[in-house]
Amino acid sequence: MRYSGLQVLKEGLFGQKGWKPVWRDPAPKSEYDIIIIGGGGHGLSTAYYLAKEHGLTNIAVLEKGYLGGGNVGRNTTIVRANYFLPGNSEFYSHSLKLWETLEQDLNYNVMHSQRGLINLFHSDGQRDAFVRRGNAMINQGDDAELLDRAGVRKHLPYLDFDNIRFPVYGGLLHRRGGTARHDAVAWGYARGADQRGVDLIQNCEVTGIDIENGKVRGVQTTRGAIRAKKVAIVTAGRSGQVAALAGMRLPIESHILQAFVTEGLKPVIDHVVSFGMGHFYISQSDKGGLVFGGDLDFYSSYASRGNLPMKEHVMDAAMTLMPIIGKAKVLRSWGGIMDMTPDGSPIIDKTDTEGLFVDCGWCYGGFKAVPGSGFSLAHLIATGNHHAPAARYRLDRFRTGYGIMDEEGKGSQHNLH
Amino acid sequence: MRLTCPVCGDRDHREFTYKGDAVMLDRPAPDAGTDAWDSYLHLRDNPCGDTRDLWYHDPCGAWVVVERNTVTHAVTGTALASEAKR
Amino acid sequence: MVDLIAKSACAGLLPITIGSLTLTEETPDPVTSIAPFKGQSEAVSERLESALGLKFPAPNRSASKSGARIVWAGQGRALLMGAAAPDLAGLAALTDQSDANAIVTLKGEGAEDALARLVPVDLRAAHFKRGHTARTFLGHMSASITRTGVDSFEITVFRAMAGTLVHELTEAMESLHARRSHLGQ
Repeated sequence: MRYSGLQVLKEGLFGQKGWKPVWRDPAPKSEYDIIIIGGGGHGLSTAYYLAKEHGLTNIAVLEKGYLGGGNVGRNTTIVRANYFLPGNSEFYSHSLKLWETLEQDLNYNVMHSQRGLINLFHSDGQRDAFVRRGNAMINQGDDAELLDRAGVRKHLPYLDFDNIRFPVYGGLLHRRGGTARHDAVAWGYARGADQRGVDLIQNCEVTGIDIENGKVRGVQTTRGAIRAKKVAIVTAGRSGQVAALAGMRLPIESHILQAFVTEGLKPVIDHVVSFGMGHFYISQSDKGGLVFGGDLDFYSSYASRGNLPMKEHVMDAAMTLMPIIGKAKVLRSWGGIMDMTPDGSPIIDKTDTEGLFVDCGWCYGGFKAVPGSGFSLAHLIATGNHHAPAARYRLDRFRTGYGIMDEEGKGSQHNLH
Repeated sequence: MRLTCPVCGDRDHREFTYKGDAVMLDRPAPDAGTDAWDSYLHLRDNPCGDTRDLWYHDPCGAWVVVERNTVTHAVTGTALASEAKR
Repeated sequence: MVDLIAKSACAGLLPITIGSLTLTEETPDPVTSIAPFKGQSEAVSERLESALGLKFPAPNRSASKSGARIVWAGQGRALLMGAAAPDLAGLAALTDQSDANAIVTLKGEGAEDALARLVPVDLRAAHFKRGHTARTFLGHMSASITRTGVDSFEITVFRAMAGTLVHELTEAMESLHARRSHLGQ
């Protein structure tokens, strides 16, 4: 069924009885051309682009729980292309372009809202760094505008501009940045992939990866063995466990990143805003909740919940930057499991096993990468060649030291990013 | 989460700085080769469950090996890194 | 040569009295950090005892004798205050820490309650007796906290943190006082 305003009107007139399930619930076949482990944003978009761009449809997406039940349903929904380093810059630029046509492409409302992203700076040195970043963004063909204090005040009058410790000096405005409805992105890709013939198989946990003579042969699952010549591990948050099934150790530690949402409020924050002097960033959802988050808790964890000290830190930073937030009541907090790599950049690559691919290490930036990651991984699986915008996301860059992408300039070492 | 510093006792997690997997205690020989060093520096078992990792107790300066569960955050044991044996 | 004016860490900030609590500055002189070399703890302790009557303290403990005090200050380190260290050449690393710290005493009924607002360690008398010391946090600062009496604590932080220390403690004292006044206690 194609979605349209007319369809909504028609269903409204006839008691909403004509809506159909958005995707099938097929039983797994004994063999597919391609198996994608992981029915999250990246796995679903990979399946979608394999079908759409490469005409490959004999594909199964295996999900141990339900579609979109992992990090794609647990993030702070920010979409942006403001990276600095070659390798990241072109990848996120490509991903943002896919976002901009995504709703038409999928015929699905993912509520992508380019409301503008403002990264604040609070010192001369930080301004220089943002000027440099802005130039890199413009060189990449994306947009960036430097705002002075008055410029920021025009957009964000509610900030505490004259905070003694952290006065607002200005901000870098990325107008094409914004947010999207996270669940809808997974659902839209799932529907698109399903319509093109991809089997989306839920409640199907992969328990083994069959490898013979260095070639992948298929997987063992809780719903039986499934053969395939190509298998992709797209399970960020659980990458280590799934890769271990193939005898691999990855350069990844899983960390917890907390996020928070307040009760629904009338529109007050109409951008995505990030504080430059503490870990705090915020946007307001269409439902009215203030969605905000901070830094990692900084210890390895799979608990999907964090501890109090980071909560305190985030609330402290929030109150420092925008004292108005003190009136809002926090409804919920939760944690996402981050695949942290030593340099803070992701991995989309082949492995030493023929036919086995990995897409992992998205650190705290996986949501905005959903379209780009799927597109580039689909390209790699279908053609055997790295897709140009993602060509630097190599698995062996830590081993060789070549091609490290340390966006934060902290060094290539675990627990620095 | 509270951690027990072997020197100071049961303490708030804020007092500690995290270093990472206790594999860091097993430094390879300088000439051990690329694979050994890659494994030491980058590759991780990253267990979902029981793990051993290194924490620094800022106020007293002790390096502590903590045995804990990455799913429940339960802490099952701590020892001074200087005395811990793998 | 210009004579510089010596100012203590909390000069102009203390003393303060709020309700039942007073906060005063301590200026022991000299203060020496003593860090025994590996395997020399016993020898250092014996030398200290013969010279000052004070042993090298066990972790989380302090001791005092005729004006001299020694306070455990972290792994393998103690601060000797108010007396010069004996000759420990070859046995321990000594560092002059006079004037390096801001040292204050919080005294009065309710001192435990005021500190409970800032310190993530149980400082109540049942757990934390006279002479016990803890290396912990006070607010966001690393601090040494020692019980020196029934209702008195000595708190040591780096000298540069003096202003923050006084600010944090004053705020805790005021909050406690306001709460007690409100409750009519």
